[in-house]
Amino acid sequence: MPSVKISGGAVIDFDGSRRTLLDALEQQKLDVNFHCREGYCGACRCKLLQGEVRYLNEPLAFVRKGEFLPCCSIPLTDIDIEIP
Amino acid sequence: MAYTTFNRQINDQMKEPMFFGNPVNVSRYDQQKYGIFEKLIEKQLSFFWRPEEVDVSKDRIDYQNLPEHEKHIFISNLKYQTLLDSVQGRSPNVAFLPIVSLPELETWIETWAFSETIHSRSYTHIVRNISAEPHKVFDDIMLNEKILQRAEDVTRYYDALIDGINLYQRCGEGTHTINGETETISLYELKRRLYLCVMSVNVLEAIRFYVSFACSFAFAERELMEGNAKIIRLIARDEALHLTGTQHMLNIMAAGDDDPQMAQIAKECEEEAYAIFRKAAEQEKDWAEFLFKDGSMIGLNKDILCQYVEYITNSRMQAIGLKAIFPTTQNPIPWINTWLVSDNVQVAPQEAEISSYLVGQIDNEVDGADFGDFDL
Repeated sequence: MPSVKISGGAVIDFDGSRRTLLDALEQQKLDVNFHCREGYCGACRCKLLQGEVRYLNEPLAFVRKGEFLPCCSIPLTDIDIEIP
Repeated sequence: MAYTTFNRQINDQMKEPMFFGNPVNVSRYDQQKYGIFEKLIEKQLSFFWRPEEVDVSKDRIDYQNLPEHEKHIFISNLKYQTLLDSVQGRSPNVAFLPIVSLPELETWIETWAFSETIHSRSYTHIVRNISAEPHKVFDDIMLNEKILQRAEDVTRYYDALIDGINLYQRCGEGTHTINGETETISLYELKRRLYLCVMSVNVLEAIRFYVSFACSFAFAERELMEGNAKIIRLIARDEALHLTGTQHMLNIMAAGDDDPQMAQIAKECEEEAYAIFRKAAEQEKDWAEFLFKDGSMIGLNKDILCQYVEYITNSRMQAIGLKAIFPTTQNPIPWINTWLVSDNVQVAPQEAEISSYLVGQIDNEVDGADFGDFDL
């Protein structure tokens, strides 16, 4: 079960009960910006400091190196992220 | 470098830059330099909708019962959006098509502009329904000082680019005397105008629409003007996609692999890019003040809306690699996000499934296992 470390602080487990990372973060009452939740607007863009994610559907939004979209991805390994 | 509708020069389209290479000849998509634009086209087509599909008849009663200051908020926003989409329905075609060099990007531009014309038609659909005198609403757009001020900044970069392209394609680089006036144009200057134009369009789609969107959704949160909100929701979904399109263009330009000069221009224009964002944010804050001059609406006032403008400006700037310019880090109206979720867009009451489905999509994959439990 991959773990998700947020901004060097809180750690949550991605146990598969939520479809995406965004859902999992929201369940923990973490404030992440979002609009489309489908990967085409890019509003939920977060920093991926360590680890790997897998996209459920390939995002259309521009994603820079070191960034990822939590709305359409799940962690592949333990990850370390930063929410802007 | 005259424009031709079917360039006879045999070229490798995979080696063309996005703009200012050879004009496109064959519209082919079997090979694509930037597959993202084809994906944006497919997404946009899957979003197709028509204003008439949305029932706005209940809005008429709601509108008549609104207090005067809320009528002002509602109708002013519609006028402003009408202006924005009037510009966006034609300008990408006029400005970008004569200089584009990739077929997938050319088709994206056309698809993008077409969807803006649907937005324009939807405003007439809404206004016809709430007003017995729709002409008064539209006539006022050309007289309203507050709207015209914005029109100036929305169109300036488009017009400068179009003007430069006309001169360049007719006369080439250099100093030319036309009708007694001397003008100088270079390809570098044109590229600069292009970059600033795409930046200004990006700002238009990223920030300028959102003050209106927030007001429309604030009405709908009170179960007022819900037909309008349904339409605005469809428009917001399209705009988010267009924004992604311009963000990709800007990022490809800044990276420099496509055209090294564009990367240099992106650097040179950084100050100006900041200024375009800052000015748009200030204008939208002024607009919020104009909207609420006679009174606020429940759930939304000038200060909250201004904070939202700052918040969204920051996030849009970061998306294209600029730094945030406002201290605001929190979304003051988090409820707006649920109105912007794509899956919640419902165009017809009987339509329970997600509306981004692809019409006529069939699964053609059949293998032996599909007949596993098949008996005669």
